[in-house]
Amino acid sequence: MSTPYRLWEIIQRANTGPHCDEDDFLPKIFTPKLQEIISKYEIKYDSKSPVPADDDLSDRVWQAGWELFREVGLYNTDTHRIIKVSDDEIKEALYLIKGQYWVGAGKDAVLWKHRRVEDLQPPFCIFSPDITCDENLHHSMCLAYLKEPLLDGFCAPILEDTMGQKISSGSPTEINGCTQHIYNLRLAAKQVGRPGVFLVAVGTAEHDTGQIAVSDNEWGVRTTDSRLVGTLSEFKTADTLLNRVVHYAQYGCYTGNLTGPIYGGWCLGSEGVAVTLVAYSLSGLCIHGAIYNQHFPFHLHWGSNTTRELLWPISVAGQAMARNSKLLNTSNGFSNAGPMTEMVFYETACHALASTVSGWHLWEMASARNKYRNRATPLEARLGMEVGHAVARQAMTREQANELALRLLSKYEDKAADAPKGKEYQECYDAATALPIPEHFDMYRRVKDELAEMGVDFPF
Amino acid sequence: MSLNALCQAVESGNASKAEALSRKLLDEGFDPLKMIATLTETMNRLGELFARLEIFLPQLMLAGEALTAVVDILRPMIMERGEQGASKGKVVLGVVKGDLHEIGKNIVKLMLETNGFEVKDVGYDVDSLTFIKEAQAMGADIIGASSLMTTTMPGQKEIIELLKEKGLRDRYKVVIGGAPTGQEWADLIGADLWCADATSAPRLMAELLNRKSRK
Repeated sequence: MSTPYRLWEIIQRANTGPHCDEDDFLPKIFTPKLQEIISKYEIKYDSKSPVPADDDLSDRVWQAGWELFREVGLYNTDTHRIIKVSDDEIKEALYLIKGQYWVGAGKDAVLWKHRRVEDLQPPFCIFSPDITCDENLHHSMCLAYLKEPLLDGFCAPILEDTMGQKISSGSPTEINGCTQHIYNLRLAAKQVGRPGVFLVAVGTAEHDTGQIAVSDNEWGVRTTDSRLVGTLSEFKTADTLLNRVVHYAQYGCYTGNLTGPIYGGWCLGSEGVAVTLVAYSLSGLCIHGAIYNQHFPFHLHWGSNTTRELLWPISVAGQAMARNSKLLNTSNGFSNAGPMTEMVFYETACHALASTVSGWHLWEMASARNKYRNRATPLEARLGMEVGHAVARQAMTREQANELALRLLSKYEDKAADAPKGKEYQECYDAATALPIPEHFDMYRRVKDELAEMGVDFPF
Repeated sequence: MSLNALCQAVESGNASKAEALSRKLLDEGFDPLKMIATLTETMNRLGELFARLEIFLPQLMLAGEALTAVVDILRPMIMERGEQGASKGKVVLGVVKGDLHEIGKNIVKLMLETNGFEVKDVGYDVDSLTFIKEAQAMGADIIGASSLMTTTMPGQKEIIELLKEKGLRDRYKVVIGGAPTGQEWADLIGADLWCADATSAPRLMAELLNRKSRK
């Protein structure tokens, strides 16, 4: 928690804040205020600059996001009341951010630090397939990801089944699935020699009971690990989410703030997504007590964020937060294409490039729109992280990144709507050894070489 | 005064203006059924624009609310004249138990209502039995169940299983949707229809009911 002594003062507002009918919150409060703020701060999307280099624009987006959060607050669907936070409280919470945290345990502990725009420090790399997988592949996928050299943290795939039974949210099967999830994960971490690696877990828990059931420093999710608190799009919460806020704070693990503003939805277009990302970050800090943000804005129809209308708000919001706060922010990629396609590699590279120069840390990669079971592999994430390390170390500017992003976009943007789904993990990897098959590795290598020719100076 | 002005009022989401214009048109003797047909075309065009994200969700929802306001005025006139409002079908629509995500469900509701379906929205985080009880109370043709999370998808299956156990499976068509769902899942659980998106839902559900009535 960044503001632990404010926990109860703020949570209490879920019961004492202004009342509002749920049907009115988005159409009558949230979207009209957002429209007004976009106009007031003269925020305008520019399709020619998916990675803009306009500091004044970024600062206006920061101010706009602050104002949006202060004016709109967070709606609790259980109490039908709005949690509102004052300017002074936002300032106080921002002042108290440490800007760096030791995460993970023992020799595997890593110092996670705030990044600035065009920072020379490589991004903190959280690998995550984000998707669900077959029960019998879960441990293998954990191994495959945990073998990745650039991995600083890991969020494992999600189980749909446990002991042959379909997991149902809030039921005993979910608790059993969560236990299986963390045991697979901890076993895999030990097997690859990273017993203290920083974990974000467990994604199998949709309900608070599943999360709470696996808080245990001996066998479960440790206090050196992290858990996420989500928000319902847009700007809504519920008691099942606030329960997590309280539990994580009292358990003592690191809380992350998980949000996915929807392009084309209630937060409108690119400008609205950028402003909303900033507002969500402040909400996560003040209401969830999060030490970092995990943002995955996505296209309403495609469920992806690698096309320019999403790269622009990612870049602008990242710069806004990097320039005006010490917040830690991870940028979560959602590609259109699936594993073992050249397109997924181009998309991941472009997302990582735009995010890194804009001050983000990386969370890669939800392949195939995060929609299809087993369709994600560590290799696309690896390429994204390698791009992140490269562009930071070579001091790539936003202008250079923009030029490169435009070249990469030209390779896949017109295929976004009908992107190839690619292959499943077990078709791209040897599930026994948890290593990529030669065809998959060769494709990764070809795209990496092509990126190097385009100016990405990979360190290895 | 023309239908065009009414369509523009609906398109811009101005419900009060749309209501006033519809009353004037009725006073001038316009056919309410023709008005509804024209406005439905307008909504379908907006739906297509939304499918390409040339307009965004708030604009579509506001237009839908304006259209609903107009239909509320026209419906008694149609009933008075003894003409059929021609409901395309009755649908109980909701998000399954444990799932709090309802944006997709709300868009489907809008598209169904503006295309002549009668919809009972049962909200989100809805118990499977509630879907069935609401369908019985409404005399529904279709139960529509949305899920956005893989761990809540079993709720869709549970609805079908409960219908079978109660001997009601043949009474209702079960339609499913939501980001993690697909045709494969629909086939696996025995759903009658999987809808990939909101725009196609009215057409696919109308076809489903037409197939049913021909049998």
